[in-house]
Amino acid sequence: MSVGINRYQADLKDLSFVLEQFGFSGIAGQGPFAGWGPDEAQAVLKETYRFAREVLGPLNASGDREGCKLVDGQVVTPKGFKDAWTKLYEAGFKSVSVSPDHGGQGAPQMLYVLVEELLSGANPAFNMYPGLSWGAAELIAECGTEAQRKRYTEKMLNGTWGGTMCLTEPHAGSDVGSAKSKAIKQADGTYAISGTKIFISGGDHDLAKNIIHLVLARVENAPAGTKGLSLFIVPKLKVNADGSEGAPNDVSVASIEHKMGINGSATCVLNFGENGNCRGELVGTVENLGMSHMFKMMNGARIAVGLQGLATASTAYLNALSYAKDRKQGANFKFFKDPSKPRVAILEHPDVRRMLLEMKAVVEGTRALVVKLAAHRDQVLLYQGKDDEKAAYHQGQVDLLTPLVKAYGSEESFRLCAQAIQVYGGAGFLKDWPVEQYTRDAKIYSIYEGTTHIQSMDLVGRKLGQNGGANFQAFMSDVSAFVEKHRAHPTLGKAIESLGTASEALMQVAMAMLGWSQSDKVALVPLNANRTLMMFSQLAVGWLLLDAAVKAGEKAAALPKGHADLPFYEGKQASALWYARNVVPQVESASKLALAEDESPVQISDAAFASVDA
Amino acid sequence: MKILVTAKRVEDPESKIKVKPDGSGIVPEGLKYKINPFDEIAVEEALRLSAAHTGDVVVVSIGTKDVHEQLRHALAMGATKAVWVNHTGALDQLAIARLLQKVVEKEKPDLVILGKQSIDDDQNQVGQYLAEFLGWSQATFASKVEALDSDAEKNKQPGLKLTADKKGLTVVREVDGGLSTLECSLPAVVTTDLRLNQPRYASLPGIMKAKSKPIEELTPAALAVDVAPKLTVTKLSSPPARKAGIKVADVPALVEKLKNEAKAF
Repeated sequence: MSVGINRYQADLKDLSFVLEQFGFSGIAGQGPFAGWGPDEAQAVLKETYRFAREVLGPLNASGDREGCKLVDGQVVTPKGFKDAWTKLYEAGFKSVSVSPDHGGQGAPQMLYVLVEELLSGANPAFNMYPGLSWGAAELIAECGTEAQRKRYTEKMLNGTWGGTMCLTEPHAGSDVGSAKSKAIKQADGTYAISGTKIFISGGDHDLAKNIIHLVLARVENAPAGTKGLSLFIVPKLKVNADGSEGAPNDVSVASIEHKMGINGSATCVLNFGENGNCRGELVGTVENLGMSHMFKMMNGARIAVGLQGLATASTAYLNALSYAKDRKQGANFKFFKDPSKPRVAILEHPDVRRMLLEMKAVVEGTRALVVKLAAHRDQVLLYQGKDDEKAAYHQGQVDLLTPLVKAYGSEESFRLCAQAIQVYGGAGFLKDWPVEQYTRDAKIYSIYEGTTHIQSMDLVGRKLGQNGGANFQAFMSDVSAFVEKHRAHPTLGKAIESLGTASEALMQVAMAMLGWSQSDKVALVPLNANRTLMMFSQLAVGWLLLDAAVKAGEKAAALPKGHADLPFYEGKQASALWYARNVVPQVESASKLALAEDESPVQISDAAFASVDA
Repeated sequence: MKILVTAKRVEDPESKIKVKPDGSGIVPEGLKYKINPFDEIAVEEALRLSAAHTGDVVVVSIGTKDVHEQLRHALAMGATKAVWVNHTGALDQLAIARLLQKVVEKEKPDLVILGKQSIDDDQNQVGQYLAEFLGWSQATFASKVEALDSDAEKNKQPGLKLTADKKGLTVVREVDGGLSTLECSLPAVVTTDLRLNQPRYASLPGIMKAKSKPIEELTPAALAVDVAPKLTVTKLSSPPARKAGIKVADVPALVEKLKNEAKAF
C-alpha cells in the first residue's frame, strides 16, 4: 500500500478568529501562560498545519485501506505511522498544553484544542495513538504518586511509551460498573490483574517501546458497581527499577476488530493475566477511586472526541466546497431547461449553496463552542486560589459544556460528512474522494467515550442541576445579557432576539424534566434527553455564531473597501444569520414536541415492533 | 564552526498571486508569505553541520520588519541568532550581495550557505556574486548522493562534509546528467539545491525559545552599502491564459498544423 496525497484542509483564518473571539490575547501572557502571546499561537498553528498536511494527511487514506494487522500476537500499524509518530514527537506538538514540570510548553487550552483539531483532522485514526498516550500520561500526572509521575509521565509524553485507557469489558460497556476484571493485592504491594478488556484503542501497536495501560478492575471484596472499581497502571512490558523495559507482563492481544472506520487505529481485545503473571500498580494510594480518576481522563477524552467531530466535519466541508467550485453540471437555475446555456460549477446551484452554508455555519459554531469551553478551562487555572467565585463559575461552564461538545460535535460531524457526500453526488460515494472515509470515520465519534445518550443523561441528570442549577442559570444569564446588549443591532438584531425565544423554550423543557423525574412519567426524561441536549447545543451555537458576527462586523467596519479580509467577515455574518434563521427556531419547535409528553416508545409492546421471529 | 545562512521572505506559492492592473508589482493583500524553500534547506544544512561540529548558526534576512516572521522561523528551527537588515523598497541582486558581504565581514563565519535561488524572482545570482565579492571559494547547487528517504537523511546527517583536516569542504553538486563532487577550501559560499535535505519542522519548544533569541538590527546605511538599484523592473504581466484546444480530423492534419501553425519543425 503506497502512501497517498494529502486531502486535509483547514481554514486557519477561522481558527485565529475564534481564538480572539474568546479573548486569547487576554489570557495569554498571564499567570501560567506567561510565555505565550498571539505571535506564538500563530506560529504554532501554522507549523502544526504544515505538519498535519505534509506528514499526517498523506497517511489518512492509505492507513484506512491498509488497516492494522495482528502478526504473531503483535499489532502492526499501517505503513508510515511509525515515521509519523517519530516526527510528531520530535516536533513536540503533543505537549503544547502540558505543564512545563513534565517537559511541556504550558500553552492555554484554547490553543491546545486547535492544535488537536489540526492533528485529528488530518488523520483521526493516527492521532488516537498519541492522543490516548497523552490522556493516560496526564491522568498519572494528576492522580499518581510522585514515584509514578517520575516513572511514567515523561516517557509517555515524549513518545518513548504509549498509553491506553481500558474500561470496556464484554458485558460492561456503557454500564461500566459491571466490570469483572480482578485485582488481587500481592505481598510486594502490587496487584495481580486478570480479566478481558475489549474495544481498547491503541491496545497494542509498534510505534513505541512500551504501552502503559490504565485498567479499571475490582479489588477483592470491594463493593459492587462503579464504587468498587480501582484504577491500575499495567505496562505491556514490566518496567525495571532503572526505568528500562523488562519482561512481558502477561498482557496479550486476543484479536483486533474489523471496523467501519478509523481503520488505522488498532481496536484490541486484551487479555490480562491469562498465566497469572500480570502485575499492576494502583494509581495513587487509595483503592476504589477508579471511576473518579478515570473521569479526569474521560472528560478530556470527551472533549477530544467532540474535537475529532469538528475536525473531520471541517475538512469534509472544505473538500466539498473545493469540489463544488470545480465540478460543472447543469446550467444556472434560472435557465435550467435551456441546453444552449453554459454549464456552470455546481456551486452556482442554490441547493448546493444551502448545503455548504449549513456545513460552514455548523463547523464554525462547533469550533466556537469547543474554544469557549477551553477558554473556561484556562480561566479556572487563572482564578484558582485567587478568586474562588470566578473559578467556580468557569469550572461550572466547563462541566456544563462538556457533554454538548462531545455529543453535538460528534452527531453533527457524521451528518455533515454525509452531507458532504451529497454535495459531491455520485463521486462522493467513491473511494477516489475523501468524504466517504470521513463519513465512516465520523460514525464512531457519537459512540465511543460515552454515547450521545450517555452525554444527554449526563446533561439532564447531572449537569443541569449541578450546584443547585447555578451553572445552567449562569449560562442562561450570559445569553440574555448578550441579547440585551445587542438586540438593537442594525443587521443582526432580529436574529439575536430569536435567542430569547429559544432560551425560554429550553427553560420550559428543563423545568418539565424536573417534574417528570419526580413523577410516574419518569420515562420522559430519557426519552427527551437527547432532544434537550440538541436544543441546548443549538441555542449555544446560535449565540456563539451571533457573538462572532457582531465582532466580525466591528472588524470589517474598520477596514477600507475592497480589503482582502472583508469576505471572511462577511462569511462570519452569513453563518450566524443562516443558523439563526434555520436552526435556532428548531429549539422552540423541539420544545413543543417534548412538552407533548409522547411516551409511545415505552408504551409499545416488544412484540409489536415487528412480526418477525427474533 | 560558525555558519551564516539566509532566510528570504517570499510569497507562499499556495497563495493566489495577482499582478496589479498597472503591472507595477503584485497585489500584496491577502497573500501569505514563507521562508524561501531553498533557504530553508540552507538553514537545515547549517543546523546539521553545527550539530556535528559544534558551532553557531546566524540567520540573515533583508526587508521590512515583516521579515522577523522568517527570522523567527529559522530561530525556531534552531538557529542561534538573527541579523535583520532593515530596508524598505526594491533591491537588485547586486545590492543584496553587497549587503550580505558586509554582514559576512562583520560576523566572520567559516561558511555561508544560501538557497541557490529564491522562488519569487528565480534569479540564481546572489550566491555567486557574494563569493566573488568576498574572494571565497564557491560551490553551487549542493545536493547529496543519499536519497531523501535514506537512513542518512532520517538520522539528519549533513550532506556537506568537512575534509579530514577540517580546512575544506566536500560538496556533491547537482549537474546536468548527474552529480559531481568537488572539494573547496574554507571559508566558502555554498548554495543549496532541492535534494540536499528535508528541512525539519520548527518544534514547539523551538518556537517558544525563538522568542528570546536576539535579532540584531542593521541598515544599509550603517553597512555603508549603496543599494540604489542598477536593475529596475519595468512591468509585470501574468502569463497569457491558455486557449482551448481543438480537435483535428486525422494525423496528416495534425502534422500540417504542427508544421505550419505551431512551427514545431
